[in-house]
Amino acid sequence: MMSHESTDARAGDTLVTLEGITKSFGAVQSLRGVDLRLGAGEVLGLVGDNGAGKSTLMKVLAGAIRHDAGSITVGGRQVRFHSPADARSEHIGIVYQDLALCDTLDVASNLFLGREPRRGPFVDRGEMHRQAAEMLSTLHVRVRSTHQEIGELSGGQRQAVAIARAVSFQPKVLILDEPTAALAVAEVRQVLRMIREVAARGVGVILITHRLQDLFEVCDRITVMYEGRSVEDAAIADLDIETLVGMITRSNTTTEEAA
Amino acid sequence: MTTQVESPPQRDLAAEPSWWERVNKATVAMLGVTVALFIGFGLASPNFLTFDNMSNLATQVAITLIVAIAMTFVITTGQIDLSVGSTVAFVAAMTAELLQLGLDSSLVIVVGLLAGLFWGSVNGWLSAYQNIPPFIVTLAAMSIIRGFALLWTEGFSVPIDRRLFVAKIGEAEFLGFSALAWIALATAVVGGILLSRMRFGRYVNGIGAQEESVRRAGVNTRRIKMITLMLTGLAAGAAGILTAARLGSGSANAAEGFELTVIAAVVLGGTNLFGGRGTIVGTVIGALITGMIANGLTLMGVSPFLTPIVTGLVLIAAIWINLRGRSLAQLFSHLTARRT
Ligand SMILES: Nc1ncnc2c1ncn2[C@@H]1O[C@H](COP(=O)(O)OP(=O)(O)O)[C@@H](O)[C@H]1O
Ligand SMILES: [Mg+2]
Repeated sequence: MMSHESTDARAGDTLVTLEGITKSFGAVQSLRGVDLRLGAGEVLGLVGDNGAGKSTLMKVLAGAIRHDAGSITVGGRQVRFHSPADARSEHIGIVYQDLALCDTLDVASNLFLGREPRRGPFVDRGEMHRQAAEMLSTLHVRVRSTHQEIGELSGGQRQAVAIARAVSFQPKVLILDEPTAALAVAEVRQVLRMIREVAARGVGVILITHRLQDLFEVCDRITVMYEGRSVEDAAIADLDIETLVGMITRSNTTTEEAA
Repeated sequence: MTTQVESPPQRDLAAEPSWWERVNKATVAMLGVTVALFIGFGLASPNFLTFDNMSNLATQVAITLIVAIAMTFVITTGQIDLSVGSTVAFVAAMTAELLQLGLDSSLVIVVGLLAGLFWGSVNGWLSAYQNIPPFIVTLAAMSIIRGFALLWTEGFSVPIDRRLFVAKIGEAEFLGFSALAWIALATAVVGGILLSRMRFGRYVNGIGAQEESVRRAGVNTRRIKMITLMLTGLAAGAAGILTAARLGSGSANAAEGFELTVIAAVVLGGTNLFGGRGTIVGTVIGALITGMIANGLTLMGVSPFLTPIVTGLVLIAAIWINLRGRSLAQLFSHLTARRT
């Protein structure tokens, strides 16, 4: 279950452990007991049918919603998040499906939204664009200019900017919720390459995706969720696409009956 | 996008784009309209392009511009403020009434500004914190605020002693331009810096585009929306004092339809009515256009009663250009939508 390609010494050090996480929204029990483990430098694929609870679980880990029971351990310490800021201070970053960018602001302004570098009372635009350019080129994000408006970018470029923004907070854990869902093939490659790049720096990445071929391209391990439970955990090297599909739909597994 | 394995040596990503790439195209178009109007009126009336008339125009535009600068922030966040005309009337009436009571001019000015700020805070709190669409809040405020002014003055125009400091502001001149024009210019400079050079301005633009994104970036977006409505209140307060100063009286009937002129100026300048894109330079140009139309028509000897008609038509034209393909129904549902 260790990373199969990373030779990074830290790879495999456990960053995050979730145990027995449950969460109900009124009568709807979205999470019924989820276990998950993420190591440094590892790319973990989180898969499961629509409504399996993947997004809810990640919102719990990002502090966006509070879970009912179960434990979250980060860096060996048990933590409890009351807000996204709590998760951020534990170096957990997330890129939501809707990206949280502003279309009419330029690339640099989006990267630094909420923490613009200043000189006196003014935004130091020179510094902001310089740092933005540096951030983008180290991650090989291709945009024409940091002055381009987000609204003018392609879906892949927007995704890349959102990831770059999350990476700039120097997370130890980066959660990506369906980053390739709406992208053209060439753009998917760019995003996957970015994911590998981020993991190579020792960041643990959790990737939610429906594109199973992406999993085989970037993941070290996958966790399968089914109706609010984690039901499988396997190294990707031990799987083929048919076995994986079987795990997701639970068509040929022998584990206990789904509730 | 091609998919090369190694990215080519990046040319300078952070390089400033050319002036043409950065500039708001709608504003450039309106700059063209301004020049055309200058030439048109200049040819139609020999008195138009004189220094005296330009100075006069600056004075006429000043009060509209002061409020339009603040309104640019409100509209850029995707809100609207329909109550500014009423606030101008309220503060103008208040200024005259308080001066009649014998209060000192400087105290009256402070109280007038605070009154504007107060009405702006009420608007801001109800829309930003109680999630009532600002279109509805300020429509109601428009009626309520003027109502208070009418109650107070019983509908009479209240004269101001010409010897008082407040009245003198209305007549003061510096380098051939009125104090009003200089105050408006200073407001425009401060507004321009605030909108394009400071964090506040970025958040104002960002909120107009995707409020939720700005909120998730850790910015208190409700507070920023409230502050923008406080800015229009404050600006309308200043405009009320200056209106009273200029007319030498305060009346609850002042500034009828003023909100339309202000909104026309902002929208004409290229600020997007749906929010997300504001331009102070554009607003200055927009205010100049609305002022020039009134000024030029008067010089041409056209009935002054034609001005509100033309202003209304210009507003429609401006909105029509500003919508750029989106329907008026979309605009209306945007302005009245509850945004939580
Ligand atoms: N805020 C919420 N209120 C009520 N039900 C919710 C909420 N968020 C998610 N759910 C429910 O929880 C279940 C899991 O949803 P989700 O985590 O989005 O699944 P996935 O991302 O795996 O498709 C679904 O049945 C969904 O309707
Ligand atoms: Mg989901």
